[in-house]
Amino acid sequence: MERREKEAVRYLGFGKNAVDDRTLALIRESFEDLDREAGKKSVHRVFDIRQAADDRILIGPMDITSKSLGRNLKGCDKVILFGATLGTGVDRLITRISLTDMAKAAVLQACAAAELEDYCDECQKKIAGAMEEEGRYLRPRFSPGYGDFDIRHQETLMRMLDCAKTIGLTMTDSFMMTPTKSVTALIGAGKMRMNCPESGCETCAKTDCAFRR
Amino acid sequence: MIKDRLGKELLFFDGGMGTLLQERGLGPGELPETWNLSRPGTIQEIHRAYIEAGSDIVLTNTFGANALKFHDDGCSLEEIVKKGVENVKTAVKEAGVGRTVYTALDIGPTGKLLKPMGDLEFETAYEAFREVMIWGEQAGADLIHIETMSDTCELKAAVLAAKENTSLPVFATAIFDERGKLLTGADVPSVVALLEGLRADAIGINCGMGPEQMIPVLEQFLKYSSLPIIVKPNAGLPKQRDGQTYYDVDPDQFAELMKKITQMGAAVIGGCCGTTPDHIRRMKELCEDIPVIPVREKEFTVVSSYGQSVFLGNGSKIIGERINPTGKKRFKQALKEHDLDYILREGITQQDNGAHILDVNVGLPDIDEPALMKEVVQELQSVTNLPIQIDTVDAEAMEAALRIYNGKAMVNSVSGKQESMDTVFPLIQKYGGVVIGLTLDENGIPNDADGRVKIAEKIIAEAAKYGIKKKDIVIDALAMTISSEPEGAKVTLETLRRLKDELQVCTVLGVSNISFGLPSRPVVNSAFYTMAMMNGLSAGIINPSSEDMMKAWYAYHALMNLDANCENYIKKYSAAASAPSTVSESGKDGIGLQEAIVKGLREEASSVTASLAREREPLEIINSELIPALNQVGDGFEKGTVFLPQLLMSAEAAKSAFAVLKSRMDQSGEVQEKKGTIVLATVKGDIHDIGKNIVKVLLENYSFDVIDLGKDVPPERIVETVLEKDIRLVGLSALMTTTVVSMEETIKQLREKAPGCLVMVGGAVLNQDYADMIGADFYGKDAMQSVHYAQEVFQ
Repeated sequence: MERREKEAVRYLGFGKNAVDDRTLALIRESFEDLDREAGKKSVHRVFDIRQAADDRILIGPMDITSKSLGRNLKGCDKVILFGATLGTGVDRLITRISLTDMAKAAVLQACAAAELEDYCDECQKKIAGAMEEEGRYLRPRFSPGYGDFDIRHQETLMRMLDCAKTIGLTMTDSFMMTPTKSVTALIGAGKMRMNCPESGCETCAKTDCAFRR
Repeated sequence: MIKDRLGKELLFFDGGMGTLLQERGLGPGELPETWNLSRPGTIQEIHRAYIEAGSDIVLTNTFGANALKFHDDGCSLEEIVKKGVENVKTAVKEAGVGRTVYTALDIGPTGKLLKPMGDLEFETAYEAFREVMIWGEQAGADLIHIETMSDTCELKAAVLAAKENTSLPVFATAIFDERGKLLTGADVPSVVALLEGLRADAIGINCGMGPEQMIPVLEQFLKYSSLPIIVKPNAGLPKQRDGQTYYDVDPDQFAELMKKITQMGAAVIGGCCGTTPDHIRRMKELCEDIPVIPVREKEFTVVSSYGQSVFLGNGSKIIGERINPTGKKRFKQALKEHDLDYILREGITQQDNGAHILDVNVGLPDIDEPALMKEVVQELQSVTNLPIQIDTVDAEAMEAALRIYNGKAMVNSVSGKQESMDTVFPLIQKYGGVVIGLTLDENGIPNDADGRVKIAEKIIAEAAKYGIKKKDIVIDALAMTISSEPEGAKVTLETLRRLKDELQVCTVLGVSNISFGLPSRPVVNSAFYTMAMMNGLSAGIINPSSEDMMKAWYAYHALMNLDANCENYIKKYSAAASAPSTVSESGKDGIGLQEAIVKGLREEASSVTASLAREREPLEIINSELIPALNQVGDGFEKGTVFLPQLLMSAEAAKSAFAVLKSRMDQSGEVQEKKGTIVLATVKGDIHDIGKNIVKVLLENYSFDVIDLGKDVPPERIVETVLEKDIRLVGLSALMTTTVVSMEETIKQLREKAPGCLVMVGGAVLNQDYADMIGADFYGKDAMQSVHYAQEVFQ
């Protein structure tokens, strides 16, 4: 199985159980649909960062109070603001399939999430390459809404990236991203190479989560 | 007047503003428009540099000046806009270059996504544009330039706001990518169709790419546009250095490419991000003496949606007729019950079966047709990219739908009656569209081709008075049933041929009318369809689910060399001949209904049910086969041996079995007792509804009636529905902490106004504590738990 397929299986709640053939067939079909319908776009910009205290981070006009983000960015002197989306085509596809086949819709939803993570990883790898040339190493990406990093910072972050214009990523009044299959994040960069940087599930405090890796 | 010069001489826009402001200290995320008031000198200095470099049109620094971006910044938007216009005018005066320089009010996107994909209402976007445009005109702007638009719906709101509230010329440009598409999917012909329909004065491309990458997009514009074209590239593709964005096409390279672009046929040129007064100066030096190629009127008959355009005239297009209550009991019921899902599914099925355009008719007595038409059109556009044909006799419904429709619609219809033309043509004039003209008038339907062609001529002539061109009219030659009009088919066919040969106008027919009153109608319909296509039918309004009609369509296009190498024909029918029918085979294997459901085999479940129903009563099948199978799967899910996709495959299989039984029961008049009615909604502000949809499928499996209010549902609407239908249980879904607030508010309002109603909640961020805190009666960790709770409530 491809990596993104494995992730989709996990999002669908199979845990450590083997996926059945029919679900796997739906997963593969869904990735084909996504390859066709997705209009992947990403944008990033590098900013200086100042950590005024363990839980207070200043980036341009952003003044963030967050312990978990503070931990994530410790030792970083730069931060990359990052945005990525699979585009409106994927939202339309999921809405459409929801009307005719809920099983496929649920699978598609999981696959789109996996595809998006995969795409973000791919983008991050490229950014990491460029940053390493100047002797900086990346931390795992961290999004508004994770831990105690207030989701309301989303608005400023998206404005600093000019997301609507550059990648067509916008936000609703309640801070939800549209297109829905989108990510915004901060990626710290510091001169110290972190051994085996942890990311995703491993850093999450919710250890009883059904979707934990 | 700029309009007099447009398209006759080359006009020069200015270049980038943002990059120059950043160089002068604009911070990331800072709103550049605030500088109109705080640093007017800096803004005027930049304008002046462009004027001195040779710009004929200078944009005000108002790109992001709209109420949706400036909601809490404590400065007056009106002042910012008016000062923005004044800054250009001051710069013009101070520069004193001795030639006319026009002030263009710059209008950028709101930064929000419109419904149905986002949460912004069309009219809210319209209002945001409207006020800025009015201030701009009051302050003395010479034209409005709408630019960098990446969504055709927002583009439409902006152009309409300009046209309806000002008398200024309107320039409109959009931001395309390398594939020649907008971020929301529209291609060049659909953007051109939309903007021409709305009567913009000049249209084109800006931002996103450098001049070189814009050339293929420009070629497309030149092919389709009958309006002067604007090209405003960035100084190349954006690059990053030290974390900053920069552009590296220098003024000389830029000017060389712009020379090529002008020679290709651009009429207004300028620069966008990364371009400077030097770029504009070099560009002007190199291009100023190039004569402008006059714009040629293009003769395409084209309709569009947000994501694609459909051209009439090459082969015959299929207009799906199924979204129409006439003679359809089930459809009427769906309209009355506001069952939008049913209507949307009709659209999806027709697209899957080959329709190119969808006719939408929701007219029923006692129904709020304008509201429903608008809603159906908008929702259809969230699930299909097919252009829509707005089919109504209600002028108000026609306008409501035309206004919010994302694209250039087809309109069904106008007739040769003066009153009809007086009503419909002004709407087409304002919103654009391709309109069907029925060949009938005050004297009825002529019984010969002569009479019908004359009416067509009258319609075309009357339309011209509104500036509506022949290419935007499609004439319906009218098919009259041969059971009462023996010569009917011959007259229709002759009319079609003459409309094509003598008037060179596109044609349409409601094909199946021809067989009304006859047995085995598809036999006659499909033969007549072929004959009509042979006589020049540009589009047939048919049922794409009718195999006979589709066979006629595929065969005709293969026979007439309208299907290169018979590719579509082969794709469609080679599979049909060789693929064994899986349904009948598994039927032979004797798979049981319970097994089909447990395994989640949808087709098998429905075919096995159909054969079972020949011997057993529907209710007995439900109780002894369906319910036990569903219980088995549900138990497995809760024990962790069955997983969500499998649970849902079984649910879909059960649903298909229920559908078979339901139609049997409808025939016999038998009624399955429903357990109760539950209202489901994703709360206000929340647009993620997959969880709610999963719960819905399962509840319906367990014989509950579900009223699905959809997503982003205000508390008031939920309360209203609960009171009106006397509902005992409501299910609410929310994804994020920011929307659980609306969940809490909904519960509060329900407690006040409908104290007897119980509330179950679910969603990603919820847990038992959270649910208790907001006062819910039940927290469902997963979909099966909500089923159990509903069963308890309605015991």
